[in-house]
Amino acid sequence: MLAKISTLALKGIDGFFVSAEVYIASGLPAYAIVGLPDAAVKEARERVVAAVRNSGFDFPSKRITVNLAPAERKKAGTHFDLPIALGVLAASGKLGKTPPARLEESFFIGELALDGSLRPVAGVLPMLLALRDSKRTAVVPAGNSAEAAVSGVKCLAASNLKQVADWISGSDGLNACGMVPAAEAAGSGPDLSEVKGQTFAKRALEIAAAGFHNVIMVGPPGSGKSMLAKRFGGLLPPMGLDESIETTKLYSVSGLASAGRLVRERPFREPHHTISDAALIGGGSSPRPGEVSLAHNGVLFLDEFPEFSRPAIEALREPLEAFKVTVARVKESVVYPARFLLVAAMNPCPCGYLGHSVRECSCTPLQVHKYRARVSGPILDRIDLHVQLSPVKYADWEAVPKGEPSAAIAARVLKAIELQKARFGGRDGRSNAAMTAGELRSHCALPEGASAVLELAMNKLGFSARSLDKILKVSRTIADLEGAAAIKREHVIEAVQYRMLDKSEALAGI
Amino acid sequence: MQANAEAEKLARVRLNFFGCMRSDWLLRLMSLYGGAAELLKRPPAEIAGEGGVSFATALRLAAETAAADPEQELALARKAGVKVLTALDDGYPELLKTIYDPPLALYVRGELKNMPAAALVGTRKATPYGLRTAARLARELAEAGAAVASGLARGVDTAAHEAALAAGGVTWAALGSGLNEVYPAENRKLADKIAGSGGAVISEFPMALKPMPANFPRRNRVISGLSLATVVVEGGFESGAMITARFALDQGREVMAVPGPVDSPMSKGPNDLIKNGACPVEDARDIAACFPYGALAAAKPAKKDESYLRPPAALKELSPDAGAAYAAIAADEKGLNADELAQALAWPAQRTAASLFELEVAALVASRGGRYTRV
Repeated sequence: MLAKISTLALKGIDGFFVSAEVYIASGLPAYAIVGLPDAAVKEARERVVAAVRNSGFDFPSKRITVNLAPAERKKAGTHFDLPIALGVLAASGKLGKTPPARLEESFFIGELALDGSLRPVAGVLPMLLALRDSKRTAVVPAGNSAEAAVSGVKCLAASNLKQVADWISGSDGLNACGMVPAAEAAGSGPDLSEVKGQTFAKRALEIAAAGFHNVIMVGPPGSGKSMLAKRFGGLLPPMGLDESIETTKLYSVSGLASAGRLVRERPFREPHHTISDAALIGGGSSPRPGEVSLAHNGVLFLDEFPEFSRPAIEALREPLEAFKVTVARVKESVVYPARFLLVAAMNPCPCGYLGHSVRECSCTPLQVHKYRARVSGPILDRIDLHVQLSPVKYADWEAVPKGEPSAAIAARVLKAIELQKARFGGRDGRSNAAMTAGELRSHCALPEGASAVLELAMNKLGFSARSLDKILKVSRTIADLEGAAAIKREHVIEAVQYRMLDKSEALAGI
Repeated sequence: MQANAEAEKLARVRLNFFGCMRSDWLLRLMSLYGGAAELLKRPPAEIAGEGGVSFATALRLAAETAAADPEQELALARKAGVKVLTALDDGYPELLKTIYDPPLALYVRGELKNMPAAALVGTRKATPYGLRTAARLARELAEAGAAVASGLARGVDTAAHEAALAAGGVTWAALGSGLNEVYPAENRKLADKIAGSGGAVISEFPMALKPMPANFPRRNRVISGLSLATVVVEGGFESGAMITARFALDQGREVMAVPGPVDSPMSKGPNDLIKNGACPVEDARDIAACFPYGALAAAKPAKKDESYLRPPAALKELSPDAGAAYAAIAADEKGLNADELAQALAWPAQRTAASLFELEVAALVASRGGRYTRV
């Protein structure tokens, strides 16, 4: 007999329909799965046999063929267990002579334990989103119930195979998936007012948040680079629903959405500098999103930036430019969104104490040069703001007043972002940092005094011509923070201050 | 006779390729046999027997000089616009001939004028104090008509060369590598400028020799040997600048030092020299006073100029904000970074940035690793 069960699979972060076809023929007992299954799918064979028997059904000793159609697309994951098991039951007539309507019209997702219970799987949200317009029901493991509810698709949560089989035969044993109320994001993160001093770094983060500029912090150990970075998320505006869903999809595909909630807080990813380029960018033989995608709509903090491997640093070029990552494989290529704000941190020199107020730096100029050269020009080109940090002296610690709270800064940032929305016609994801050369010309006209500033920066401070564009973009954001329609001279001067690494080396004194 | 002189010069250039032996030994061997050409004809056993060197060294001398091609070397030098001088040639500096181990061959790019010179030497990791003092002394020396000799290294050396050039003076740079291998590479343009403006870039090493640590102390004796006085601007106890000072003492030249703060590691060397009797240097008049009488006859030392003790003139044209920022930065010898300045003045970032920009553009402050110090 033949049975067809509807289920779903993933390509990148998008779901597509899969039909699990099970055919039972008489003949020598055999059992095969075809349709480009990966290792986890092939192992479904063993799990399904045990789960079916332990749920009180017979497993037919016949010739069984399972085909996952469309057969030319790769399938990965353990969630095909449930549709395959149901297919075996249906094809061997355990669910009635003619297939019930519920079996025909529903989609099934779930991994089976050997005792027949259902385990939660990765990628439920993106798969269900493929069903959004179809008005059909999906049955998911109870562990994925909260995540499934986010999709807006009509979902039922099941805890074992027997329950599902009973529901198909007409019982009401399955509950609809319910939303878990999202935890309130506001006020939960650490506050920027806890960081004392660091006037310039805080200001740079404010500008970064307002214009979606990437930022690099240069400072000795203990100057508070990671402390600042962790508080950066609090300056960004709250996530919109679309942003939340997109980020949750990426988390779901990576199996990180186990709490089953919509991601409402901007992600903060902090990979260690020993990370491989594949883990940072995304990859693997069956591709998975990397850290850059997990930081989608949030912050990617790379501490000790020059210590990252050269391939890892260079691989950041694509997402920094295109806000997405393409993982190309021979059989398929997958695109993951990766629109993140890069916050990089580095020491000023290998020993860390160049420019320190108390300790002497023990590096030779050549060592400093080599250390800085590890961050290549093309990457530095995509980072608009450079900021120098200084260690806060202990003696000053008590005297330094508390800074502005994050909420006050976030309010200014939000206003600046509204201005940009109006400027770029409300298109999503547009910001001052992403201005094209044409937009730069039309939105960053300089008054008389301000272009003189750029000339001085080039002639006296050794700035290169290519850093001028960055200065213009940052000036635009500084003006937006003030609500000024035109860029003024002082905006440009402040922007120059945040291009420290562009100064010619002799002048930077290394 | 002419042909003989030519052959002797080639022999000396050839002998100069034997880099592992100090030139005073080679000169002694030459005097033993009456010239480099004669020396090179002797078998190693004879040199070892009569010259007081080991047989192994004599063998290496024979092997390494035989491998050299002095004619090709001279062609290489000509192509690079470099003159090769030996003590037989007219242009070889008289002062350098008087030290006990003058270089066998001197490669000169530019022009080694016959004029009194002072060496300004110091550490590569100079403090702002060392850099600005080196620059001022170089300028004053240049204005007084003296050449400024140094080693083209980063830090003090570069500051001295650049200031002498800016004052329209003559400056000499002695390298620890061949002239085709200018080190450090970022100073190649500076070397071109020195050679192109009446000064000279010189080396005793074959054109293509790469920089090797052992050769830098050796070139220091050339710096001091070309100079009437050697001034140590900044340096630790064990620095190359102190090696140069030691060479100057051995050569019977004047050793002088720029006094520095007692708590600055980079002033340990010069302060120690002063303790041991070196003349402290405040300005170029102190240096000129130690020159032999009449050495600077052509030009009087610059008239007493103590403008460096007063606040710079550019300060008057600053905005009040920048003036306040300058006062705060100048008050701290170690300088301030942008954050410390903002805190000291209780200014927001934007206001602080504006005054720093003004000061930096006016070249009143400079930043090193993010710290701003007065220039």
